Amino acid sequence: MKKTILSLALVLATGLLFAQKKTTTSATISFDATTSLDKLPKADNKTVIASLDTKNGKLAFEATVKSFTFSNPKIQEHFNSKGWMDSDQFTTATFKGVINNVKNVKFNKDGSYDVTVSGDLTIHGVTKPIEAQATITVSGGKIKTTSDFTIKLEDYGVNGPAIAAGKVAKEPRITVAADF
Amino acid sequence: MLTTNMKKGYKKWLIALFVLLLAGGAVIWWLFNLKYEDTADVKADYTVNAANFIKEFRQDMTGANKKYSEKIIIVNGTVSAIEMADTTANIKMIDTSANDAYIIFAFQQQHLAEAKAMKEGDKVSIKGSCSNGAFSDILETEYVTFKRCAVNK
Repeated sequence: MKKTILSLALVLATGLLFAQKKTTTSATISFDATTSLDKLPKADNKTVIASLDTKNGKLAFEATVKSFTFSNPKIQEHFNSKGWMDSDQFTTATFKGVINNVKNVKFNKDGSYDVTVSGDLTIHGVTKPIEAQATITVSGGKIKTTSDFTIKLEDYGVNGPAIAAGKVAKEPRITVAADF
Repeated sequence: MLTTNMKKGYKKWLIALFVLLLAGGAVIWWLFNLKYEDTADVKADYTVNAANFIKEFRQDMTGANKKYSEKIIIVNGTVSAIEMADTTANIKMIDTSANDAYIIFAFQQQHLAEAKAMKEGDKVSIKGSCSNGAFSDILETEYVTFKRCAVNK
């Protein structure tokens, strides 16, 4: 009887360990809107909050807009200004979605898994559904999630003379990396 | 036919235009090549204690953001966690008495080694640019992010 209870407890504990929601506060998101005319609109955010539920595949990100760090102070100022991201009003960009084929990912076995992620991306107060390819790498109990996709700035109400002048890409590249 | 006076006036305008274009070009070049200073060399706008700083944001997020956002702040506190990734080393100060609300510091490249040398429990003084405070729906707590950080010496 005792052995049965102990075995059940071990199974439950193992199940809980791999089914738990995993979070990180140091995911990174890179934003690259450079063009042939201007190599400056490029920034990294290294304090992104991310969560991954390995049981149901739910994936979420929260990025403080002012934490996107540019090398040039003027570009940083423009990026956060009312005419662009208006980060005083829209302080956070978020993603809430799911890994579509999560059952194909073995989170307790080392390996690399190509997946698709779909969900709602909210930037500048505008929410749009997106779908992107991602890679999940499991190694030594750690889970690394990476993705690379583009967005259309005008879809999120972000436009301005710099885009029209070809100095900022209309569809910047977004690179996401999260270690759980 | 241009008189001598007219030619002189025309020349003056050309020189003025040339100087203006040169000055304009210099300003554009200067703006294009602007870089952030080393935070270690920048004067701080505020010096705060981590726990009190978190409390300010928890009590009045809007007011605290208005006061501290994009300001250079020295935060004195204890290292709760060091989060390493491929190219980053972030330092966290967590207030366990405040629902694990936290401050997180992302370091300038030239100061990354300082962050990596820290240990949990170290009493530290970190200077950086305060980005923003917010409430995380994911973590269900408040947090404040910093960028371009350096150890305050």
